[in-house]
Amino acid sequence: MRSAFALNSVAAVVFALSGLAAVAQEKYPTRPIEFIVPWGPGGGADQLARKIAPSLEKQLKVSLPVINVAGATGQTGLNKMLTSPADGYSISIFIADTLAVLMDPATKWKLEDIVPAAIMIRQPSAFFLAQNSPLKTWKDVEAEAKKRPLKVAITGFGSADDLHVIYFAGKGFKFTSVPFPKPSERYTAILGGHADLLYEQLGDVKSFLEGKQMRPVIIFAEKRFPAFKDVPTGKELGRDIVINQFRSIAMKASTGAPRVKAVSDALAKVAATADYKAWLKDQYAEEDSFIPASGAVAFMKRELDVMRKYAPKK
Amino acid sequence: MEGVLANLAVGFAHVFEPVNLLVLVVGIVLGLLVAVLPGLTLVMGVVLALPFTYSMDVTAAIILLTAMYVSGTYAGAWTSILFHVPGEPIDVPLLWDGYAMARKGKAAEALGWTLIAAFFGGMVAAVVMVLLSQPIARVALTFSTPEYFAIIFFGLASVVSLGGGSLANALISLFAGLLIATVGVDDTYGAYRFTFNIPILSDGIDYLVVMVGAYGLGEVFVRLEQGFTSAQLEAIGRISTKLPGLREILAVKSTFLRSGLAGILIGIVPGAGATVASFLSYGMEGQYGRRRAQMGSGIAEGIVAPQTAATASVGGAIIPLVTLGIPGSGATAIILGAFLLHGLQPGPQVFQTSANIVYAMFASVFAGIVVMCVIGYFATKPMVKVLDLPEVIVSAYVVMLCLLGAFAARNNITDVWLMVIFGILGYLFERFRFPITPLVLGVILGPLAETNFMTTMISFNNDWTVFFTRPLAGPIMLVGILTLLYPLFRHLRRQAKMRGSRDIAL
Repeated sequence: MRSAFALNSVAAVVFALSGLAAVAQEKYPTRPIEFIVPWGPGGGADQLARKIAPSLEKQLKVSLPVINVAGATGQTGLNKMLTSPADGYSISIFIADTLAVLMDPATKWKLEDIVPAAIMIRQPSAFFLAQNSPLKTWKDVEAEAKKRPLKVAITGFGSADDLHVIYFAGKGFKFTSVPFPKPSERYTAILGGHADLLYEQLGDVKSFLEGKQMRPVIIFAEKRFPAFKDVPTGKELGRDIVINQFRSIAMKASTGAPRVKAVSDALAKVAATADYKAWLKDQYAEEDSFIPASGAVAFMKRELDVMRKYAPKK
Repeated sequence: MEGVLANLAVGFAHVFEPVNLLVLVVGIVLGLLVAVLPGLTLVMGVVLALPFTYSMDVTAAIILLTAMYVSGTYAGAWTSILFHVPGEPIDVPLLWDGYAMARKGKAAEALGWTLIAAFFGGMVAAVVMVLLSQPIARVALTFSTPEYFAIIFFGLASVVSLGGGSLANALISLFAGLLIATVGVDDTYGAYRFTFNIPILSDGIDYLVVMVGAYGLGEVFVRLEQGFTSAQLEAIGRISTKLPGLREILAVKSTFLRSGLAGILIGIVPGAGATVASFLSYGMEGQYGRRRAQMGSGIAEGIVAPQTAATASVGGAIIPLVTLGIPGSGATAIILGAFLLHGLQPGPQVFQTSANIVYAMFASVFAGIVVMCVIGYFATKPMVKVLDLPEVIVSAYVVMLCLLGAFAARNNITDVWLMVIFGILGYLFERFRFPITPLVLGVILGPLAETNFMTTMISFNNDWTVFFTRPLAGPIMLVGILTLLYPLFRHLRRQAKMRGSRDIAL
């Protein structure tokens, strides 16, 4: 018992000293920062990390090796970061899909466990029709949905995709969610006429939009999207639901504020480059996607509230 | 037409640039390695290689991944034939005729047949890919979940009725496999099933663990019981025949054609890849092949059918990727990621905007198949030598391969224990004359069957008749049902005949 106490006090002193040393130095970062992507290579989260890592390396003057830790809707990678020390040497991509997991009360982590250094990209979503669909406008779609059930291809039940379908179903339209977890099967469903509508981010179906294979009929955003000026927003049509598909950079919550600020400031500089802005445009993302650390927490809380509002009561 | 050939020539010029050629050979070798290791599937291998391509030139990146994809459908056959451990789920059908042929002392011939089959299947699909990409790409869009369910149903049905043993045992084995496949979080509604609060089980039981355990370790247990005394292996080292002769090849030409076409078609549709192609093709051969009665006894058709279809599916899967922007398989989904990371969007416009990269990809399939076959040819001899070693030692390596494979699947030690359990189960199955394949097939195809069934039910308002009324799904389901009933008919007819002959005797 005594020795345990002694050990504890020694530990406490060492801890205090190291804390002092950290304050005295306050030089961060001094060694490579592990950059976790909680999704597989090639997807949207991975693309963001690979895009910003080189510019971020220039800003922070250390290397940022990107590692993919996929699984459990991004929670496996998140866990890896949460179990690392809160010293700012492990940062992670954090996206809306993982935030949506928090709607399940049984989730083992909380939003308070992380601190977002910045929101890097926000992409508006839309409902799409196949190019050759006889329906032309969103009004046509709603009229048709009064007469017969329309199948909407989504990623899975409980996702942001599904919440949009639930929202319209609640307004008396006959929409049925049909889950296709694999993007290839989802796009086949709409192009092959196996589904009537597709819910997706504009940027994810860019090649189909440019190839004139599908077209957006309603875009869920605050204002009209420059590349699709003719397509009305949900708000204009009185269908006011906006759930952003965002991708952010998160750190462990107990990381010291100066370190979070260091990363956030570096990200701000990256986001301000012409190269990054061009990339956002190319991804069909909002031009003003970037939100610094100061506003990012409030943004995420608001998003989660919106999701909870439309989630089916269990 | 001339335009296509000219483009292809430019593509070859790209592939034969020294750096790209080196990348191609590296890709082929990596693909072969990944295919041989039971714990690393082809798709996982391509995923692991993807980050290395980020800093590469886009053409080199695409060549590397395409080369891996091509050779990844081939080398797993080696371990199936030599050790009874399928390197990939694709290679499970090679355990029957491939391994049986090797046990007859004709391992070199079995390897030769896989080489020819991979070459033929790959080449035919590559030609179709180059010449007919645009006209046939739309086939990919005609398939929906009812069709996938029907194809998988036919695959399951044909393998159950193939065994030749007791249909009841085969069905029990299949349903055990389907039950194992339900463990974990259900894909559609997220319900937890049979997880018993064990964290790893909520991620499901990986089919690799079942496959490697039941086949690899199970086989070692069987040999252990016999005291490692199989005699017929001694003759192998002296046999020098490798490639089958032209006459032998022509004798099974219809098998080549049938399975090549099946492979291309399954490759094109996005919901199924090389594994389904391989099983389906073996099943078709068992139903319609000239020597269907001898399937499973170690005949060439049983090796040619699955291998041809598996490699042919590569060319097929690339077709919708480049023409529609929809990947036809797991590996092509990763290759799509590589395109996107380099700022290229595959799709109808890609032939205008980046034709040179697409044709370099096409050319790398041709060149890759040739390189793969050359390496495969020279690897055959040393590989067959392995069987000269005492069986105890070979078995020790098999056990090591199994342990490694089970661990590599998810880097989890629980999987190793599960693998051992399935090894014991595999041994017991063998011992009590239950076929193992339906079990493994159930685990591999069960989740696909389930999600396609569920999605169909959701999509068509719980109307199960769509499986029979849709123009493509209907006939496939019907053939599946007939396949399942066939052993019963055969049994009844035999009984009737026996009764008939008894009547005459009386």
